[in-house]
Amino acid sequence: MAPPAASQRYPSPSQPSGKSEVSDLKTQLRQLAGSRAPGVDDSKRDLYKKVISYMTIGIDVSSVFGEMVMCSATSDIVLKKMCYLYVGNYAKGNPDLSLLTINFLQRDCKDEDPMIRGLALRSLCSLRVPNLVEYLVGPLGSGLKDNNSYVRTIAVTGVLKLYHISASTCIDADFPATLKSLMLHDSDAQVVANCLSALQEIWSLEASHSEEACREKESLLSKPVIYYFLNRIKEFNEWAQCLILELAVKYVPSDSNDIFDIMNLLEDRLQHANGAVVLATVKVFLQLTLSMTDVHQQVYERIKSPLLTLVSSGSPEQSYAILSHLHLLVVRAPFIFAADYKHFYCQYNEPSYVKKLKLEMLTAVANESNTYEIVTELCEYAANVDIAIARESIRAVGKIALQQYDVNAIVDRLLQFLEMEKDYVTAETLVLVKDLLRKYPQWSHDCISVVGGISSKNIQEPKAKAALIWMLGEYAQDMSDAPYVLENLIENWEEEHSAEVRLHLLTAAMKCFFKRAPETQKALGIALAAGIADFHQDVHDRALFYYRVLQYDVHVAERVVSPPKQAVSVFADTQSSEIKDRIFDEFNSLSVIYQKPSYMFTDKEHRGPFEFSDELGNISISPEASSDIVPAQQFEANDKDLLLGIDEKDDNKGLSNNNGSAYTAPSLESSSNISSQMQELAISGPATSATTPQSSFGFDDLFGLGLSTAPAPTPSSPLLKLNPRAALDPGAFQQKWRQLPISLTQECSVNPQGIAALTVPQSLIRHMQSHSIHCIASGGQSPNFKFFFFAQKESEPSNYLAECIINTSSARAQIKVKADEQSTSQAFTTVFETALSKFGLP
Amino acid sequence: MLQCIFLISDSGEVMLEKQLTGHRVDRSICAWFWDQSISQGDSFKLLPVIASPTHYLFQIVRDGITLLACSQVEMPPLMAIEFLCRVADVLSEYLGGLNEDLVKDNFIIVYELLDEMIDNGFPLTTEPSILREMIAPPNLVSKMLSVVTGNASNVSDTLPSGAGSCVPWRPTDPKYSSNEVYVDLVEEMDAIVNRDGELVKCEIYGEVQMNSQLSGFPDLTLSFANPSILEDMRFHPCVRFRPWESHQVLSFVPPDGEFKLMSYRVKKLKNTPVYVKPQITSDAGTCRISVLVGIRSDPGKTIESITLSFQLPHCVSSADLSSNHGTVTILSNKTCTWTIGRIPKDKTPCLSGTLTLETGLERLHVFPTFKLGFKIMGIALSGLRIEKLDLQTIPPRLYKGFRAQTRAGEFDVRL
Repeated sequence: MAPPAASQRYPSPSQPSGKSEVSDLKTQLRQLAGSRAPGVDDSKRDLYKKVISYMTIGIDVSSVFGEMVMCSATSDIVLKKMCYLYVGNYAKGNPDLSLLTINFLQRDCKDEDPMIRGLALRSLCSLRVPNLVEYLVGPLGSGLKDNNSYVRTIAVTGVLKLYHISASTCIDADFPATLKSLMLHDSDAQVVANCLSALQEIWSLEASHSEEACREKESLLSKPVIYYFLNRIKEFNEWAQCLILELAVKYVPSDSNDIFDIMNLLEDRLQHANGAVVLATVKVFLQLTLSMTDVHQQVYERIKSPLLTLVSSGSPEQSYAILSHLHLLVVRAPFIFAADYKHFYCQYNEPSYVKKLKLEMLTAVANESNTYEIVTELCEYAANVDIAIARESIRAVGKIALQQYDVNAIVDRLLQFLEMEKDYVTAETLVLVKDLLRKYPQWSHDCISVVGGISSKNIQEPKAKAALIWMLGEYAQDMSDAPYVLENLIENWEEEHSAEVRLHLLTAAMKCFFKRAPETQKALGIALAAGIADFHQDVHDRALFYYRVLQYDVHVAERVVSPPKQAVSVFADTQSSEIKDRIFDEFNSLSVIYQKPSYMFTDKEHRGPFEFSDELGNISISPEASSDIVPAQQFEANDKDLLLGIDEKDDNKGLSNNNGSAYTAPSLESSSNISSQMQELAISGPATSATTPQSSFGFDDLFGLGLSTAPAPTPSSPLLKLNPRAALDPGAFQQKWRQLPISLTQECSVNPQGIAALTVPQSLIRHMQSHSIHCIASGGQSPNFKFFFFAQKESEPSNYLAECIINTSSARAQIKVKADEQSTSQAFTTVFETALSKFGLP
Repeated sequence: MLQCIFLISDSGEVMLEKQLTGHRVDRSICAWFWDQSISQGDSFKLLPVIASPTHYLFQIVRDGITLLACSQVEMPPLMAIEFLCRVADVLSEYLGGLNEDLVKDNFIIVYELLDEMIDNGFPLTTEPSILREMIAPPNLVSKMLSVVTGNASNVSDTLPSGAGSCVPWRPTDPKYSSNEVYVDLVEEMDAIVNRDGELVKCEIYGEVQMNSQLSGFPDLTLSFANPSILEDMRFHPCVRFRPWESHQVLSFVPPDGEFKLMSYRVKKLKNTPVYVKPQITSDAGTCRISVLVGIRSDPGKTIESITLSFQLPHCVSSADLSSNHGTVTILSNKTCTWTIGRIPKDKTPCLSGTLTLETGLERLHVFPTFKLGFKIMGIALSGLRIEKLDLQTIPPRLYKGFRAQTRAGEFDVRL
């Protein structure tokens, strides 16, 4: 494990360099291992502490594994705990040595102290070494029957851990059934809660291939089970209550009595001290009453005050999470919160992310009765020390003005902002005044008199400058010096860096010309000339267009550039209501924080490598460990999902490019691990390489020796050269994949080295790329991985598309090929197979 | 489902890492996170929930220590944040504070605690009194005990019985030789005063804190003289809901030791005990500032520890401030603090002086917000009064204690 980059940057004097200290520890531990002298536990404890502290700061101390295990024979519980901690951390990397720990852990599982029994069982299940699962079943079985609830609690979670290491072992031992009966009969609430959590996860992962699991999963949502939990909810601790409430959200009530029963049962949960419980309850209430409009309204009234209290009583982080949810509700039903606007006033010390949300809510709840107070409050923020918030609050004032309440007073305030002579305040205000004038042309007179007094020299921000120029053009007849201000600006054309401003200048000069031709003619001429010579394409095009239209007919030009305008009644909303509903359905989840439905941000591209590196590295055949709470996150490589995967790929590019080099380190590191493993394989296994000599020769042939001697499977197909820099955008790929028929389906075997190399994320993709076959999407979970590739002929734009499913347990690959040119698809398949067979070979 | 928890020091060093599931989260995520928080200038300004290229990160900052949790699956964000807050609370209670040295000296205890608080990524036991049963805090007493008895184990040898008790927050059968129960009303006044001296918002956030050291299984009833003023109550899980609904009485079996029984809010207060009158005039590059602080309505008890702090605007290049009472300090980050203490009988404390603006600026356009601090012992400003505390069965040698105090919370005076 690499030491953390951060601690390298800030080396602490106490931090040892590593190697020599570790070997010192090793000798010392060895000396203590056999000793039975009194006081040996104390010295052991010091040594253990040192080992753990090295581990904690990121130094690799896995080399003392053997010695640690040897020293583990002790009755001291702190020593035991430290040992469990150590073993849990390094067992995965030392599967062989882990066998040594099994013995003492199993013994501890039978200890008379329930605490030790529990801890040992937890550690045993946390080893996560697949070939040791057989040793887990016995202790887990007795742990589930233990008479101490602490041990049972741990055993239940242990079953879930076992399931993730080896699902089949877990199912074969019939643990799910045991958990089910525990869940329904155990007297301890925590045991019951853990059973519920484990069963939810196990059954929903099993549900994809077992009908029975599917039924069981649904039975969790049956009325008796739901009521069994809800009636007892007070016995559970707060976190387990969240779990039960999450379950209740999925329950479909049979009738309205059912709904009211549940709400009555949960009513007092709204006053729980834990915000997570309150929010989970709110979600249940909202979801239950979606179909009953008036009750739904009452629910809003009911949940309002608990939520507002939560906002103001917790830490800023908690407030933020709750405000995000409140924001969603406020936007959905602003009138309910209208009287509570004072809750959204910003306090000076709040972090800006909280202030920003509060500003948005103040905007949302503004109505006839409170606009005056809200705007007064917002104006206070405009003089705030925090510039970002000052800007935000001016924008908020503008938004309220656009909502048509008390516009008169607001315009006055905005104009006062302009007198503050703060550059950012002026800039923001100008943009707002422009938008206001588009909606309320009747205010132009008041605004123009103030705007006219602003010197364009004081405005630097492009957006503000553009706004000012727009007003100069639009109201040229009311502003006496408009042509001259424009002329000044046009003379400084060269110094104007923003294309947006130059575009506006052109249009404003035109508009001004139509109203006051004699004064503007010269300036317009200069502007058009400068515009046509402009290096920016849009500016150039617009200037040329204006010039030609003027040449054609001045009246036509006026009709085009400056037609009589209608006031804008509604500005386009940024978020569609469909998306808002979608976020609402995902209440109490990350979607609300990001203000996007989960499908827009859940990131499959990055989940891929995660599964690769972790699950496959274990050779375990268990499916992904995550729960199915959000099905969208599971990558099911069907075509529908492929669409999503591709769409998101582009979005993520920016993100992944941003991260520093430190972030890519782990994958490089693991790939070097793998490659050293592969070297071992290659050295030790002449037999394996002998199994695929044919195909690897075939590869040499294609690229070097010519086809005549190639023992390729289809010697008749012509030599195919692929374009190494082929490009195909995802959209086109999808379209082609749908349109083209399958021209070839082939099955072939993948060599074991290839299967091993699959553990390295992207390795196959990189490998195929070196053979001019490009990957466009990939995914799947062990043992099945799915890839979509494409390639292009070197000489002509003829595409080949391929779907390749690799099953790691059978080491076989299934290839489906589609091609623009059916005749050459056989040749492409050959190239593809050859390349694939080369995968993983050094 | 959380996958990993990191504790990061204020210099970005990973102090502790606790993997929670089979999916290891590499430490490099912390480097990424730290780069992000540096680019924000201040980790406090970083959003509590962010998405890294591979994980969703939840973070909270307490006393310079960042608690960072990673997850790859959708989960209720508030649950993650609440849990981290709980971890921070428990740690600072155990370690007697939270800082780099304390965490590094006691990392074994931190591991032990995390081990009991969360298993397989799902929160388990976060109730402090139950945790104390399982893992003894490293306090002076247990250190002394360990020296005397030679048993240095910080693990108590009792079973974690709370998990088996039918009241999950209470250990089965604590025994005390003298039975004591204390009730504290702790209130914070949040207020915003605008530049005209009007009270824009004024409310009290209060907590009923208890310290219960009672043997056996006590059943308590706490009633208030004027419960109707309370709004937005939140209760500890031990409080029974029905008695409160029907006659506004708190009926409960308390946890052992210190805990927060309930929190409440009292809104729309009309008056503050202290007034602040700032004035600022600016002309030709200099500002004259004067601030008066005095008692507006006497609460009947001494108002102590009055402080007034504010941030000088960025455009102020130098400041010369003095006061007729108390001390004025200006830090390098332009934070100015005026420590007044108690208000003297004979004069009104006044801060005055001049601010010099950066060259080129005529007048001040950004105004500071003054933050007022004060403390009043012996009174709850909301007016809430405890009527009585009853025990169903009265244990021998019972002592009941009541206290109250009010301090300024977020008290902003704008200019």
